[in-house]
Amino acid sequence: MTIKSYMSIFIRRSAISLLLLVAATSAQAQMKFFSMQKDSIPLFRGFAVSFDMVGAGLMMFSDYGQYEGALRVNLHDEWFPIFEAGIGKAKHEDEVTFLNYSTSAPYFKIGIDKNMLRDKHGPNRLYLGLRYGFTSYKIDITRPDYPDPTWLWDTSYSINDVACKYHWAEIVVGIDAKLFGPLHLGWSVRYKQRLSHSEEGNWGTPWYVPGFGTYDTKLGATFNVIIDI
Amino acid sequence: MNKWLAVLAMVILASCTSIDCSINNLVRTRFQFTNSAGDSISLKDTLTVVTTRKDGSQKIIFTSDSIIYNKGVGTCKFNLPISHTHPEDELVFHFIGEKVHIVDTLWIAKEDYPHFESVDCNTGYFHKLTAIRHTHNCLDSVVIVNPSVTNDDQVVHVHIYPKISN
Repeated sequence: MTIKSYMSIFIRRSAISLLLLVAATSAQAQMKFFSMQKDSIPLFRGFAVSFDMVGAGLMMFSDYGQYEGALRVNLHDEWFPIFEAGIGKAKHEDEVTFLNYSTSAPYFKIGIDKNMLRDKHGPNRLYLGLRYGFTSYKIDITRPDYPDPTWLWDTSYSINDVACKYHWAEIVVGIDAKLFGPLHLGWSVRYKQRLSHSEEGNWGTPWYVPGFGTYDTKLGATFNVIIDI
Repeated sequence: MNKWLAVLAMVILASCTSIDCSINNLVRTRFQFTNSAGDSISLKDTLTVVTTRKDGSQKIIFTSDSIIYNKGVGTCKFNLPISHTHPEDELVFHFIGEKVHIVDTLWIAKEDYPHFESVDCNTGYFHKLTAIRHTHNCLDSVVIVNPSVTNDDQVVHVHIYPKISN
């Protein structure tokens, strides 16, 4: 055997040992992450409904936004399965390109949050969560007629009633603070990742997707008014 | 505190929008002069291409606005604009040598598809070439080799076979 072969075997064995060590440590950590604290608090702790103010603000003060509500189940103050639904809208008239883009459609998200605080049963929470989102929507893109720059023929531009579908995932980090009684306020920051999309026809890609935001956006935020039920 | 401010600044910066339009937003048809063996050849004559516009300017006078390719020498491959939505473009090829001036006309039929990138980007059309007919003064045949015309300006769409491989 050459020195090269010995080195190769040594590197391979070291790599396998390291992988086994990481896997064992990671499995232990995963078990701890997914287990619940053992105490006398019951598993089911109630529901909470919430409404996002950021999306509503965007809807009022910009060309696009969404009205979004959520229903969250409280399991032992640790795990929070959540269903979010809303209506996303865009109506943009560009002053430079003269393009009009409009869409309006419902969207749905389902996911789960984990309370990361050590004191699980306290009044405040720090969430880490995941979401899967889906929307099926139609878009209209038009612009006023304009002359072809070379030929001068009148040119109309319209993409009407085109059906699209969009699937995405979100990683959520959020906080939730109790104000008084059943009222909580909370922030969340979300990293979004497109999973798949489909558009009818071969005209390009959409600009705004209801519930997701602009096509290539990566970050989003919500400010939630939450009421415990 | 400073750490949180830095995180907030990163979030705000990352949230800024950018305009991502294609670098090349020109949609043009690419032609190639080809010999009978299928190899590209260069013209010895000077080539000028004019078109007929809505106002008929090419037919009235050889106006500068109707010239879409001007006095090309040694032309092998070249790009010509394509109308956004007119069903058929008329292109008049002027082959000008020392003692000759031969004119051929091409009519290119096509289907047009609006193309969209973003509300911040200019509108454009992609096309599918469906048929070409032409006069036969200097041109032997004209063949569509790739019917899909997009903003990829390196794809050859049409092969032109001249009668003489000059």
